[in-house]
Amino acid sequence: MVGTNPHGQAADAAIAAASVPILELRGLEKRYGATHALKPADLAFVRGEIHAIVGENGAGKSTLIKLLTGVITRTSGEVFWEGQPVALATPHEAIEFGINAVHQEVVLCRHLTVAANMFLGDEDVGFGLLRKGEMTRKAQAILDDLGFQLPAHVLLGDLTIGQQQLIATARASIRGTRFLIFDEPTAYLTRTEAAQLFALIRRLKERGVTIVYISHRLEEVFELSDRVSILRDGTLVGTRITSDTNETELISLMINRSLEQIYHKEFFPAGDVLIETKNLSGPGFHDVSLSVRAGQIVGLYGLIGAGRSEFVLSLFGRHRKTGGSIVWQGKEVDIRSERQAMDLGIALAPESRRDQGLCINLPVGFNLNLPIFPHITMAGLVPFSADRQRADRQINDLQVKTSGRGALVSSLSGGNQQKIVIGKWLNHGARLFIFDEPTVGVDVGTKAEIYRLLARLLAEGAGIILISSYLPEVYELADELHVFRRGEDVARHAYHAASHEEILSEAIGV
Amino acid sequence: MSTDTKSATVARKSSANWLFGLTLLGLLLAMCIVLSFTTKSFLTEANIMNLMRQGSMIAILAVGETFVIITTGIDLSVGAVVGFCTVIAAWLLTHDFSIFTTVVITLGVGVAIGMFHGFGIVQMGLPPFIITLATLTSLRGIGLLITNGATINIVNDTFTEFSRNDFIGLPNLFWMVILVGVPAYIFLHHSRYGRYIFAVGSNMEAARLSGVNVKLTVYLAYTLSSTCAAFVGLLLAARIGVGNAMQADGWELQAIASSVIGGTSLFGAVGSVHGPLIGAFILATINNGANLLNVNSFWQRIITGLLIILIVYFDQLRRRRG
Repeated sequence: MVGTNPHGQAADAAIAAASVPILELRGLEKRYGATHALKPADLAFVRGEIHAIVGENGAGKSTLIKLLTGVITRTSGEVFWEGQPVALATPHEAIEFGINAVHQEVVLCRHLTVAANMFLGDEDVGFGLLRKGEMTRKAQAILDDLGFQLPAHVLLGDLTIGQQQLIATARASIRGTRFLIFDEPTAYLTRTEAAQLFALIRRLKERGVTIVYISHRLEEVFELSDRVSILRDGTLVGTRITSDTNETELISLMINRSLEQIYHKEFFPAGDVLIETKNLSGPGFHDVSLSVRAGQIVGLYGLIGAGRSEFVLSLFGRHRKTGGSIVWQGKEVDIRSERQAMDLGIALAPESRRDQGLCINLPVGFNLNLPIFPHITMAGLVPFSADRQRADRQINDLQVKTSGRGALVSSLSGGNQQKIVIGKWLNHGARLFIFDEPTVGVDVGTKAEIYRLLARLLAEGAGIILISSYLPEVYELADELHVFRRGEDVARHAYHAASHEEILSEAIGV
Repeated sequence: MSTDTKSATVARKSSANWLFGLTLLGLLLAMCIVLSFTTKSFLTEANIMNLMRQGSMIAILAVGETFVIITTGIDLSVGAVVGFCTVIAAWLLTHDFSIFTTVVITLGVGVAIGMFHGFGIVQMGLPPFIITLATLTSLRGIGLLITNGATINIVNDTFTEFSRNDFIGLPNLFWMVILVGVPAYIFLHHSRYGRYIFAVGSNMEAARLSGVNVKLTVYLAYTLSSTCAAFVGLLLAARIGVGNAMQADGWELQAIASSVIGGTSLFGAVGSVHGPLIGAFILATINNGANLLNVNSFWQRIITGLLIILIVYFDQLRRRRG
């Protein structure tokens, strides 16, 4: 029936007619002052479906989530919950209906136990006292039932970010949830953890829970969802039945640009060796020998926790090496501090934007210029003009979407924040650039811009170490690909020399 | 994005900051105007000069404290450092050291105390609250040991007259605020390390990975705070003419209050130099006015507390909107 229908709107109507929508939006709209964050959108969520939402950063996905969870109030339009018009004006009201959200960055208490977090705000109390033993047992039973091999009595902060994400999901699933929103849940998960999460999502679906799934990873959308809606620049451009569409169509709807144009790869003749490690060991990795030449991208692929980030942090002087040696442009060096690494000509754009990359409550211009204040300081003072010029030039070159250099970084979208993490090193005149997961949580359009930026650096004679957990990215971009597993460099391949399957099995170790 | 809208937004933001500064200044002026009408003695030369002298010392302490608070730290020791430094200064002067030597050594003691705080925080990993609380009580103890619990009288007229004299119509003590305030402003807002203080307060790890010497920045903030306190110790010794370790009791709280009233955020990365200066004089005016109005001095403490809540609340509202 609908399978042969090429028109999304008609397919939408067909499915909507099949059952009563649990939540329906009519002309939902949100404006922030002059900014039109969400243009009037009509959308119906069917009970028990997994509905994916895709779009570039800044396309209006976060706005939509915030509207659905009552965090912000709409400018106009109507919302119907099981056919009844509702205000949905406070988070409390949304939770009363059974609408919950699991966010990309876990918002739970790291200093409490897993069990305490799962029952937070809904504690089991007997005679005015917390029944901790009882709660731990219950929590453990729920976790076992969900098939997560996680202890309920440990502190949440002792788990990995991926495991914390699973706990957050479990927490939402036990609260009488009927409508659950996932905001990029797999950004920090390993494959096993992601598989566990998908199993949980499918179980929730069987129980009749409606799932809204937001992700940049299109393969997840195809693996999981029944229908997919596409947002572009605040407009809901369409809804498709997932099995009727394909990646090419989704991407063209999202950005009007084809897949080939995203992975921008240029080949440059390999120059002199910039850096070489010989049996380098340090906290989290051991015995790594590799070298990077000018004009070359060396990719490091592996699961999260495989020791790639630890390796580059040691190159950058953040951690001390425990063995082996580093040779920088023919001379053996002992890198003891970040400053020393920077003075040699190494730049690092770290993995976590919020924790390591940015001062998010300070202005854009401040963040861009932070590494180069020593260069532009005159007589101990930072001249306003140099500060301003450099910041404006960078904002222009990188096409950062911001109201100006004085805007706080926290007001920017994820992709634009990432541009600043990378952009702050471009003026620095480094020769070796290390990018640790440069495109996590970044939309396709910004990804393409970042890849083009890498090519520009190579053309200027720099070398690049690129870390990614997303195989297509390192596969398409790296001239030489190293696979890391449990702190060791287990394999190396030339450009396109091995298949995805080979590389993946090397990383997992089967 | 056109350049017009860019500069418009930036201008709006910086004008909002200036607006807050102006609001504080307006509040200060409003209090002065009300007091000039309600009391006969407020708008007299003697009282205004006195008010300036009273506010000056807290103002200088507040500037030092602000550096520390911007790094998300806190310095509880400044009151004790002031008391301790009155003892050091008095002891040196009674042992026939010159005024110049006394000033240099006392300031050196301030630097040393600040370095010790930096050492405790950076090298020993102690929370700023704890290490400065420890110095607070220890310094008072050391001061009492040196004087054996007594008070040292300073018999050096050049030294003591300094705090009573004027220069071009303003009290010398007030000139000292300018002497500290102007370089502090240039340092915080226009120098590299001034910016690093903000960066460390905003995100220490990001600052470190950007090549900022985080340890040195922390050392610097605490050293500046203690040095400002030592300087105030010299001024206080000159003003009261004695050295006594129990002087300046509770001044650390007044300094923190001035800083917070002046718009410094205890969560770090937000603050200025002019804000705490105005904040200190607002507090001094409240105390002065309450005395003149014959308000019970116990009420002064309550009013100060309420004022802190009110001003910081309005500041929060402003930030949330912005």
